[in-house]
Amino acid sequence: MKKTLLALLCMFVLVLAACGDSSDSGETSEYRTVYSGEIKTLNYLKTAETNEFALSANLVEGLIEYDQYGVVKPGLAESWESNEDATVWTFKLRDDVKWVDHEGKDVENVVAQDFVDGLNYVLDAKNESSTAWIATVVKNGDAFYNGEVTDFSQVGIKAIDETTLEYTLEAPTPYFLSMLNYVCFFPVNGEFLAEKGDAFGTTRENILYNGAYILDKFEPQNERVLVKNDEYWDKETVKIDRIRYKYNKEAATVAPELFLRDEIDGALIPTSILDEWLNSDDKKDLVRQNTNNFYTYFYALNFDPQYDAEYEPENWKVAVNNKDFRKSLYHALDRVSAMLTIEPYNPQDLLSNTITPKNFVDVEGVDYTMLEPLKAITETDSFNKDLALEHKEAALAALAGKATFPVKVLLPYNSGSPEWANRSQVVEQQLENLLGADYIDVELYAGPATGFLGEVRRPGKFSMIEANWGPDFADPSTYTDPFTEGGTYNKPEMAEGYNSEYNKLVEAAKAEVNPAVRYELFAKAEAFLIEEAFVIPYAVGGGGYTASKLNPFESQYSPFGVTSEKFKGQSILEKPMSNEEFKSAKEAWEKERAEALANTSN
Amino acid sequence: MVKYIAKRFAQSILTLFIIITIVFSLLRLMPDEGYLGAAAEKMSPEQQEIYLTNLGLRDPLLVQLKNFYVNLIQGDLGKSITYRTDVPVLDIIQDKMMYSILFGLGAVALSLLVGVPLGILMAQFKGRWLDRLGTGYIVIVVAVPAMVYFLMIQMYISEWFNLPMLFDEYNPRSFILPLICLALGPIASYAMWMRRYMVDELNKDYIKLARAKGVTERTIMFRHVMRNAFIPMAQYLPATILFTITGSIYIESLFSIPGMGGLLVDAIQRQDNNVVQGLVLVFSSLGIIGLILGDLLMAIVDPRIKLGKGDSVR
Repeated sequence: MKKTLLALLCMFVLVLAACGDSSDSGETSEYRTVYSGEIKTLNYLKTAETNEFALSANLVEGLIEYDQYGVVKPGLAESWESNEDATVWTFKLRDDVKWVDHEGKDVENVVAQDFVDGLNYVLDAKNESSTAWIATVVKNGDAFYNGEVTDFSQVGIKAIDETTLEYTLEAPTPYFLSMLNYVCFFPVNGEFLAEKGDAFGTTRENILYNGAYILDKFEPQNERVLVKNDEYWDKETVKIDRIRYKYNKEAATVAPELFLRDEIDGALIPTSILDEWLNSDDKKDLVRQNTNNFYTYFYALNFDPQYDAEYEPENWKVAVNNKDFRKSLYHALDRVSAMLTIEPYNPQDLLSNTITPKNFVDVEGVDYTMLEPLKAITETDSFNKDLALEHKEAALAALAGKATFPVKVLLPYNSGSPEWANRSQVVEQQLENLLGADYIDVELYAGPATGFLGEVRRPGKFSMIEANWGPDFADPSTYTDPFTEGGTYNKPEMAEGYNSEYNKLVEAAKAEVNPAVRYELFAKAEAFLIEEAFVIPYAVGGGGYTASKLNPFESQYSPFGVTSEKFKGQSILEKPMSNEEFKSAKEAWEKERAEALANTSN
Repeated sequence: MVKYIAKRFAQSILTLFIIITIVFSLLRLMPDEGYLGAAAEKMSPEQQEIYLTNLGLRDPLLVQLKNFYVNLIQGDLGKSITYRTDVPVLDIIQDKMMYSILFGLGAVALSLLVGVPLGILMAQFKGRWLDRLGTGYIVIVVAVPAMVYFLMIQMYISEWFNLPMLFDEYNPRSFILPLICLALGPIASYAMWMRRYMVDELNKDYIKLARAKGVTERTIMFRHVMRNAFIPMAQYLPATILFTITGSIYIESLFSIPGMGGLLVDAIQRQDNNVVQGLVLVFSSLGIIGLILGDLLMAIVDPRIKLGKGDSVR
């Protein structure tokens, strides 16, 4: 009410004298930006949304973090060890970490019990945590979630003393450390949580902070301001004093203009205005490419088609079970022309020949995608006209009398995404032109903008579909989930002559603790999937262009979880990085990363 | 009069009940995916089921409906699910309402202060340059899509007059552009209707008689013409003022005003049943109250209208 009165006063006085600019100058460094997607909660134990991770990561810390090259570094835990088969993990906590309130006042120390209380909250189904599924890696986690076990002391987490924490896991999990990068393993002060009840995480006053920043202002759909936490255990590494997010529903449209007026320090530059920026002398050095993320995009061929008879699902089923037919599609897809719908300037930078992206995990410094037998796939472009036509002829011969040509290929897309719609049209024309309309007839279908996955992909209403998957921890197994039996993607287990081949390889790999052997088995499994052309790997997410005063190679590097969202370690540049600077910085970073990985045995 | 209001009130409660029940039932037809958000892809079917059961979405519809009404009678609209998790719906609506009312009332005041006099002047100088200028303005505002000139105002006017592009509650200068944008349309429509009713009124016999009797032009204008011309506009005034609460979707998003505009759209997109129900309740109440007040105001300004016998004036 006070605020309204103040605003009323302001409005009716309407003094035209310029009000003092509120941004401090000189001493404090401030990063300003606009955003259009409002967060719904500060309750980090509940959310699974990226933009909420991005905030929580700066306010609350977990046991570990990563350096800028992706090497695990101590966070709230100063050291750890695990037993032989990676089922019991013991962490030694720092003893000087403080919980502070929204005014930065000390509340209590962070102790081992806080991690137990956090997990207890997450795994209690009535709290509706969206990340509970990942926390079920601990012993009896799933049983507690679904009510089979009611006593939380039976769950695999124990506070041995104030600074010693022990996890017992359901199965050998050599990559468990990377899972700790998720909010569901973050601590919470149990007493505070009980006191706040349902209101925990609804306002900035209703959470406690132990991270690099405190939320100084939190007004949804208006503004949020983060200020440096003076009690933070590693505050020397925090270089930006204040981060100001201004809400604007049209952020995508107004941000570039605001950036030019120096009202914000970072803006995404949409492709629609990119030309103008790149061709203007005073703007071209302000814009650079964005880094890629680890969402993997691929076209999946459906082995269990469940759509209307008019699209001839039975005929598709016969065709797709022929390897030559699949291979003809695999080699015919011109991924670059499809990619131009998103990235007209550097489409090849986003292409991916494998399901698991590059720079995701490595064995002794060798990137996973360069392990045999995946190496050959990584190094070859799948698009190959001659091979496509060869396989087409073989398929025509093999399927003569069994399938009707042209085979109808139902290719649905989400009508809420104009880019996806454009891309589907490009793919349709390109495939039909190359393979001939006598061979395939691609049928586009505009799926619903909301609930697309539940309406189209999961029920199997497609022949071929563009799909994606994001990783959850540092292990290739995270990219196998969509394709193992029981997955909701394209049901490769229904393929003729499949004999659980892929599943057996994946199971064998999962049972192996030694990373070198383990990763090789995963590489075999993935190579099988691609070699059989059950899927056509296509691209990674991210990319696009940005004008920003942040150096993307200073931030913590991690393909999953939340630490990559931290501002800690980043500083504000005098002027935005140009694309040339970006490219050379990226090259340097890749070199340094390779060295850093070679020096650490993960 | 009292009897009339009581009757209209009873009808309104019934209308509200029907609206809410329909909306409530329709919301339950939404796909489950929307409630799961980013985790939909990662949860096992069993986990999804447990999650949705805890949200209360697996109870029979009648049980859900009963719970909703029991809470509503106690003044509890429930808590937000996906829009701002666990925050009471009332708090969300209240916070945002303040901003929308503030700008809405400001805009209504501004448009009355500018639009009505403009309409009067246009009627007085019918066919002269002022009338043409006013008509030109009205045509432009009506014909050009609002988004175009709002964007122009935000981009260029802000630069020429060095005004902030975005709203900031502590900077009074940031109120100017959104207020102007909000008022442009209503100014045109008030001017247009005012001019029309005035011209109609000016051509009536009693005005000619008054002129013949030598009544001053001023008296004619203010005592007769304006008063009668304002009657049809009075009917919609309460509803106009009340609907400022709902905010302007586009202007609020353009200038980053944290008001109610777009809240309903957002809540529907995020499938936040509780917020949608709360908003529908508020909006339909506003509509109903606006209509009743409009009728009452008509009865007050126009002594020929008697309420109660033939019910509403429409």
